[in-house]
Amino acid sequence: MIIKLAGANVIDPAHDVSHVVRDLYLRDGRLVDAPGAGERIEQTFDVSGMVAMAGAIDLHTHIGGGKVNLARALLPEIDTRDLLPASDVTEACFGGAAPSTLAVGYRYAAMGYSACFEPAMLPSNARQAHMEMGDTPLVDRGAYALLGNDDFLLRLLAGGAPQKRINDYVAWTLHATQAMAIKVVNAGGISAFKFNQRKLDVDDLHPHYRISPRQIITALTRAVQELGVPHPLHVHCSNLGVPGNIDSTLATIAAAEGRPIHLTHMQFHSYGTAGDRKFSSAAQRIAEAVNAAQNVSIDVGQVVFGQTVTASGDTMAQYRNSGLANPRKWALMDIECDAGCGVVPFKYRDQNFVNALQWAIGLELFLLIKDPWRVFLTTDHPNGGPFTSYPHLIRLLTDRSFRNDALATIQPDAAAQSTLKDIAREYSLYEIAIMTRAGPARILGLEDRGHLGAGAAADVVIYEPQADVEAMFRAPRYVFKDGRLVAERGELKAVSFGSIHTVKPEFDRGIERELDDYFARYQTLSMASSKIGDDEVRNLGRARNLLVHPCRAT
Amino acid sequence: MVREADPGTATLFSYPMPIATCPFCGLLCDDLLVELEGDTLRPVRGACAHSRAAFSNLSSAPAAHAASRINGQSVSSSAALDAAAQMLSHARRPAIGGLAMDIEGMRAALTLARRIGAVMDHAVSSVKYRNLHVLQEAGWITTTLSEVKNRTDLLVLIGDGWHTRFPRFIERAIEPDPALFGTPLARRIILLDQQAATAAHALPQRYERLILKAPTAVLPELLSMLSAMAAGTPVDAARLVGVDTALLHQCIEWMRAAKYGTVVWAAPDLEIPHAELALQMLSRLLRTLNRSGRFAALPLAGSNGDLSANAVHTWQSGVAFPASHANRRVDFDPHRYAMPTVLARGEADCFLWISSLSAELTAPQYNGSTIVLGRADMQMATPPQVFIPVATPGVDASGALLRTDKVVSLYLQRLRNSALPSVADTLAALTERLEAR
Repeated sequence: MIIKLAGANVIDPAHDVSHVVRDLYLRDGRLVDAPGAGERIEQTFDVSGMVAMAGAIDLHTHIGGGKVNLARALLPEIDTRDLLPASDVTEACFGGAAPSTLAVGYRYAAMGYSACFEPAMLPSNARQAHMEMGDTPLVDRGAYALLGNDDFLLRLLAGGAPQKRINDYVAWTLHATQAMAIKVVNAGGISAFKFNQRKLDVDDLHPHYRISPRQIITALTRAVQELGVPHPLHVHCSNLGVPGNIDSTLATIAAAEGRPIHLTHMQFHSYGTAGDRKFSSAAQRIAEAVNAAQNVSIDVGQVVFGQTVTASGDTMAQYRNSGLANPRKWALMDIECDAGCGVVPFKYRDQNFVNALQWAIGLELFLLIKDPWRVFLTTDHPNGGPFTSYPHLIRLLTDRSFRNDALATIQPDAAAQSTLKDIAREYSLYEIAIMTRAGPARILGLEDRGHLGAGAAADVVIYEPQADVEAMFRAPRYVFKDGRLVAERGELKAVSFGSIHTVKPEFDRGIERELDDYFARYQTLSMASSKIGDDEVRNLGRARNLLVHPCRAT
Repeated sequence: MVREADPGTATLFSYPMPIATCPFCGLLCDDLLVELEGDTLRPVRGACAHSRAAFSNLSSAPAAHAASRINGQSVSSSAALDAAAQMLSHARRPAIGGLAMDIEGMRAALTLARRIGAVMDHAVSSVKYRNLHVLQEAGWITTTLSEVKNRTDLLVLIGDGWHTRFPRFIERAIEPDPALFGTPLARRIILLDQQAATAAHALPQRYERLILKAPTAVLPELLSMLSAMAAGTPVDAARLVGVDTALLHQCIEWMRAAKYGTVVWAAPDLEIPHAELALQMLSRLLRTLNRSGRFAALPLAGSNGDLSANAVHTWQSGVAFPASHANRRVDFDPHRYAMPTVLARGEADCFLWISSLSAELTAPQYNGSTIVLGRADMQMATPPQVFIPVATPGVDASGALLRTDKVVSLYLQRLRNSALPSVADTLAALTERLEAR
C-alpha cells in the first residue's frame, strides 16, 4: 500500500534539504521513491503549505525501569490528577509527574515523536526495563546500559586489567541486556555512597577500589570507541547539582582524552560559585569548551517550572538533595553491586533564585553552543520537567521576544544575572529539525531514522505552520509511524508497537568464564539467568522488529 | 546496514539446563536442579521443603492432566471458556482477584479488566499495602539481595518470615560471605522481636547475635524509640514494656557501629495493631541512621506474583492496586476497591479468581458467580461455576516474575511438556470471545 503526502514543505537536514516542496511516498513502513506509472497510490494526503519532518527522537528520557515505576508508586496524589480516559483506540491511564508507560507512548506520538531512548538501564534491572518499554506503545525504544559503578568493572580497573578485557565486558553487557549504548552515572560515586562516602570528585579515589572517576571515564570512552559502538559514552558527570561543578564537568571532558563523549543533562553540571548566593551560571564556559571540542556532544536537561519527580541512578546526589523533596518523601535504593536509584519529587519554582537560574542556564546552553548537531533537546524527563514541555521549549528557542517575556517573569536576581537577555539567537526550524531528528539519529548511529530519504523508516510528521510555534509542535497535523497514520491534530488514530534498537559488537566470549564465576560467587542469580535472549526481548518487549545497528570497524 | 536480529535465537548462549528457577516464593532461586521423568518433576538440588512439596503436588497425574470443569463436571476447555465469557459478558460489576501469576498473565488480565470494566486486586494486597502505604507517606531506603550478601555487617530481623516464608533467604544471602571487598564480614544479627527469636536456630552460629525479644505488639513504640535514640534524643527506655533496657542500648550501639545495616521483614508477619505505624517508624529510623552511616531495608515479598502483578499495573496504568477499570477510566483507592470489601458489600456480580502459582491460594468465600483460573492441583471447598486449570509459570509454561527486591526479574523456563494453557493465553482467549460478542 502506497500513501502519498502531496506538496510537503520538506525539512530534512540529513540530506541538506531545507524547505523544499516535494511529494513523499510511504510504502510498507518505509519511505520510497516516487512509484512507477503502473503502481497504485492508495491514499493521498494534501499537505501543501505544511512542513514535513522525520519523526522526532528523544535520546534521553526516563521511560522504563525500576526507578520510574518507583516514582509512579510514590506519587499517587500527583499522578491521579492527570487521567487520560480511554478513547476508541487508547486505554485509560494516568499521566502526571511519572506517567504510565501507556501515557508516555500516547503523548510522545501525539507530539510527533517516533523513538525514545531510556538512558539508565541497570543491567540487573534490564529485563524489567524492557518489559516496561514493551508496554510503551507507538515509539521505537532503546536503552543505554549503566556501567561504572558495578563491582565487576571496578574490580577489573583496580586490578589493572588490560583494556581488551574491559572491552569484552562492555560488549558482553550490551548483548546480555539488549542495549543500544553505554551510560555512566557519577562514575564510581554510586558505589562510593554504599561505603558511606558522600562526595567523589573526578580525581578523588574510590574508598575501596582506589581508582578515580577519571580512570573509569577514560576506560569506558575507550571501550566504546574500540568496540565501534556508534553512540559515544553517555555520561552523567560527577557532582550533579553542586555549585561549582563546572570544574568536574570540564575534568570529565578532559578524561575522554579526545575520544567521543556525550555529556547528558548538562544544565545540572554547568554551575559556578560567583555572586552573593555562591551559585551562578557557568554556561558560557561550558559552551566555549563544547564549541572547541568536536568530540563532545550534549543534551541540555532543561528545567521547566512546576511539579515533577526526579528519578536517577545517582544515589549520592539524590540523597544530598532529599531535603528538598516536595512533597516531603523520597526513596533510595542500593542495587545489586551494580548501581542504585533515588527518587525525589521536586517542584521547580520560577520565583526561587536557584530554580530560575537553572531555567536560564539551560537556555543559555542551547543558545551559546553553536553546532545544533551536537546539542539535543531534553528535559531529562522527568528530572528537569516533563517531555510534554518540548513544544514550549521550542518556542523559547525560536522566538526571542517570547523568551524575553518569559525571562521578565522569573525571580529578578536570577534574570539580572543571566546573560540570556543579551542573546539574540533564534533557532530556525531547520536547526530544530537537526536537534530533534537528524542530530540524535546521527549520534546514535540510526541510519534509517531521523531523515526523509528513500529507505528510511516511514516515521513522518506534518506540521501546519503557525505564528505560535508551540501550538504548531504540540499537535502536528499528521503523524505517521512505520507508514501508518497514528495521530492527527494531537488525537491518536491508531495504536501499534515500535521496534527495539540494539547494538551487538563482536567480542571474545571467553569473558563469560570469568563472569560465570563472578555471578556464582558474588551475585544472587546466575550469569545465565541475567542474560536476556533475542526471542525473550522480542516477546516481553513487544518488538515490531529487534534491530541490530552496525558497529564501526576499528 | 541495520539488520533484524537473527530469527530463532532463543538465547544468546546456551542455558545449562536443567537448572531451573523456582517460582514458589519471591526469592526465585535459580539454582535448582530438577529431574524430569514422565510428568514427575523431582528437584534433586537447591529446593527448600516448600518448593519440593509444590513440585511433588504438580507431579501428580491429576495435576498434570487436569480438565476444565463446570459446576464440578469435566468439560472441554473450549466449553469452559464459552461459559466464562458468557458470565463475564452479563456481568455489570465484575471483579478480578487473586492475580497470582507471571507478568504476561498480568498484562492479559489488565487487558481483560479494561474490556469488562473490572475492579482488580491481588490476593495479598492488603498486606502488601502496609509497605506501599509507608512509601507513599514517607518513602524508603531499600537494598537488594546481592548487596546484603556482600555488604551487610548488621542484619536486623523482624518476625520469622525470613525463615518460614522465604526458607532459603539466610542460606543464599547471609550464610555465604564471599568477601567481595577483601575482608570477611563480621556479620552481627539482631533479632528484634519475639517472633524473630523463635527462628534463631536457623541462623549461622558463627555470627554474633543480640536477641531483643520485644513483644511484637510493641514494635511501633520500639522502632519509634530506636529512631529517637539514633537521633540522639534522650528517651525513657524503661517505658517500653517487655524490653530489656540494657539490650536496647546495645542494639542502638550496634546500629550506629554498622558499616552497612539491613532490616529484613515480611509484611504478613506484622499482624499487629498499627502495623503501618511500625513501618513508618522503621522508615524514620533508617533515614536517621543514614545521616551518618548506611542502613537499608529489605522487605521480603514477591511470592504469588504480588510484586509482579503490582508492578505491571503500576507501569501500565500509573497507579498500584487495588483499582477499578470501570467506565473507561482508572481509579486507585486502596480502601474502596480492596477485594474483601468489594465482595463483602456485594459490589461484584461476577468474580474471576486467578492463581497459577499456588494451589492453596483459593478464592475467598463468595456467593455470586465465580470463575477460577487455578493451579491444576487446586482443591476447592466449593466448586466454582467454571474452573479452568492453567499452567504454572516455570513448570508448565515459561514466564517472567519479579524477585523480592523489586529490581531483579527472572525469566522462568518451562520444565515439561504440558497441555495446560498459560494464564495469558487463557485470558486472551476469553477476551477474544468477549470481543466477538
